[in-house]
Amino acid sequence: MASVYKSLSKTNGHKEDGPANGVKKNKQRVLILSSRGITYRHRHLLNDLASLLPHGRKDAKLDTKSKLYQLNELAELYSCNNVFFFEARKGKDLYLWMSKAPNGPTVKMHMQNLHTMEELHFTGNCLKGSRPILSFDAKFDSEPHLRVLKELFLHIFGVPKGARKSKPFIDHVMGFTLADGKIWIRNYQINETEPSKVVPADSEDAPKSKEKSSGKSKETEISLVEIGPRFVLTPIVIQEGSFGGPIIYENKEFVSPNQVRSEIRLKKAGRYNARAEQGIERLAKKGELGLRTSGGRAAKKDELDTAELFA
Amino acid sequence: MVNKSKLKMALAAEKGTDFKKLKLQKKERLANKKKAAKAPVEKPNGKNEDEWEDVEEVEDEVADVDEEEGDSEEEVEGPMKINFDEIDESDSDSSAGENDQEPSDDEDDEDIPMSDLEDLNDEEKEDMIPHQRLTINNTVALTAALKRISLPISKLPFSEHQSVTTSEPVQIADVSDDLNRELAFYAQSLSAVQEARKKLKAEGVPFTRPTDYFAEMVKADEHMAKIKAKMIDEAASKKASAEARKQRDLKKFGKQVQVAKLQERDKERKQTMDKIKTLKRKRQGADNETTNEADMFDVAVEDEIGTKGSRKDRQGPNKRAKKDEKFGFGGKKRFKKSGDAMSSGDLKGFSSKKMKGVAKQRPGKARRAGKR
Repeated sequence: MASVYKSLSKTNGHKEDGPANGVKKNKQRVLILSSRGITYRHRHLLNDLASLLPHGRKDAKLDTKSKLYQLNELAELYSCNNVFFFEARKGKDLYLWMSKAPNGPTVKMHMQNLHTMEELHFTGNCLKGSRPILSFDAKFDSEPHLRVLKELFLHIFGVPKGARKSKPFIDHVMGFTLADGKIWIRNYQINETEPSKVVPADSEDAPKSKEKSSGKSKETEISLVEIGPRFVLTPIVIQEGSFGGPIIYENKEFVSPNQVRSEIRLKKAGRYNARAEQGIERLAKKGELGLRTSGGRAAKKDELDTAELFA
Repeated sequence: MVNKSKLKMALAAEKGTDFKKLKLQKKERLANKKKAAKAPVEKPNGKNEDEWEDVEEVEDEVADVDEEEGDSEEEVEGPMKINFDEIDESDSDSSAGENDQEPSDDEDDEDIPMSDLEDLNDEEKEDMIPHQRLTINNTVALTAALKRISLPISKLPFSEHQSVTTSEPVQIADVSDDLNRELAFYAQSLSAVQEARKKLKAEGVPFTRPTDYFAEMVKADEHMAKIKAKMIDEAASKKASAEARKQRDLKKFGKQVQVAKLQERDKERKQTMDKIKTLKRKRQGADNETTNEADMFDVAVEDEIGTKGSRKDRQGPNKRAKKDEKFGFGGKKRFKKSGDAMSSGDLKGFSSKKMKGVAKQRPGKARRAGKR
């Protein structure tokens, strides 16, 4: 196996020399870490992503949530030029920060609907450290802030060629799609199968097709199997610097989960209030009609009352 | 302006505001601004790359506006309606720019809150700029940041970045429709893979993993075993449930069949009984005097129930045979009618009932009446 790898990496090495002369090499390193207070699901997701990013450097949980600029120093310490940071709030909300370390920009996103790779309905699998194909929706090119986001995804999720632990084959694809103002991320295994032999028999002579399949020049059929993880990101804010600097984009449509929760609570409270009010009204009405012993108006004395008649 | 709320009208009257005048002023300001914004666009900017062209233009405009007014770069997004009739110099190519520069100097004059807009009629609404929450979307800074970090994708070989952008934006009609949404994602990724494979093969980069290449996978073997077990379990349970359903259906159906059979049998019995009854009636009507009623009856019933063809069959050769038997055909004819031991021992015609001389039952009233 080593010989196969060697021969492949040798051919790769030759290729690399060409572009290296003219254009500078795509060199990315990602610092992957989280804040304190993440739940186990968040942690598993972080581990999954770290296993998919061989150019990543996982670090211990960051103690602070307010002094995020410390991350810049940390990134410098590990010579990383990208930071991928999970910030957990209230033990349930997860925010994802992605930043280009020394000079920015930084993107803050809200992460929802996360499914880790552990879940058993993701049946795909891929090599640890193989380089993914990144598939972007065309909508990412439509607006400047989306282009910034796309660039950050490209740097962080795209494994650079010749990364330390990367494998030479390509067996998974990551999809980034924009829908409903959110970014949906999926990870699929590329499953190649020999095409059924019925089709070539119709079109071509038998020996020819045989030769083709043996010569490996024939296209295999591709299908995808989901590997996981999957999650949805809502961009909130883009800062000019790395964890600092002026805000250059703010998503107006983003509603914070706190607000959502408080509204739900208010709605519930409203229900109770309405009920309580109704009760009071009912009492008042009964009092008006003289149907209550205490409070409200006393019943009018009837002239034919026994107490009146036999006084 | 007539249908503004009464309170507002009163206030306006007190202040002495003339709405028409205000409106005119506003329009004028708009037009001026547009002119100022358009002018610098005319100069050719050579640095534009072909695909980024329109975006750059927008930036330039915004930058110019910012310089002139020294204002914040905040923008109002939202529905913006501009009376194009008022703008004498209309430029068609920079429609995108108009949205960006509009409101920046409108901060000094009064913004109209949304709630007031409902009082106005449509033509007046067109000129108003609704007051909304401001969004920060600093396109200049964003593109600058993008430029700073962007990889020169067009110059890099594909195997360096391996990113594919779809040619058409992915359309998802309803994001809460799980199946179609996932299908759209799948299709997007699949097309990307096909394109990427073509490009990678063209560059001579290995794509398919050889079957004898083993390395650490993202999911460990135990995990994959678990997945496999689950899949097998699922398949087995599905099969079992299908089997059970089939059995249940069969049971239900079997019961139906049984019931049908019973019913049929019942019906048949009823029919025979009916027939027997009618036959009985006929017989009784025909000859009351028949002594050997049971015998005759039996034959007739069989005739009635049996098929008509067989009866006809029986009549042909049987008659002959009977006649032959009775009158003789060939063979010895002598002493044929004389009694012998057999005939004297035969008790066929013997009936104790007849000997006792029991009176015959009188038929029912209806029958008697019918006979008459």
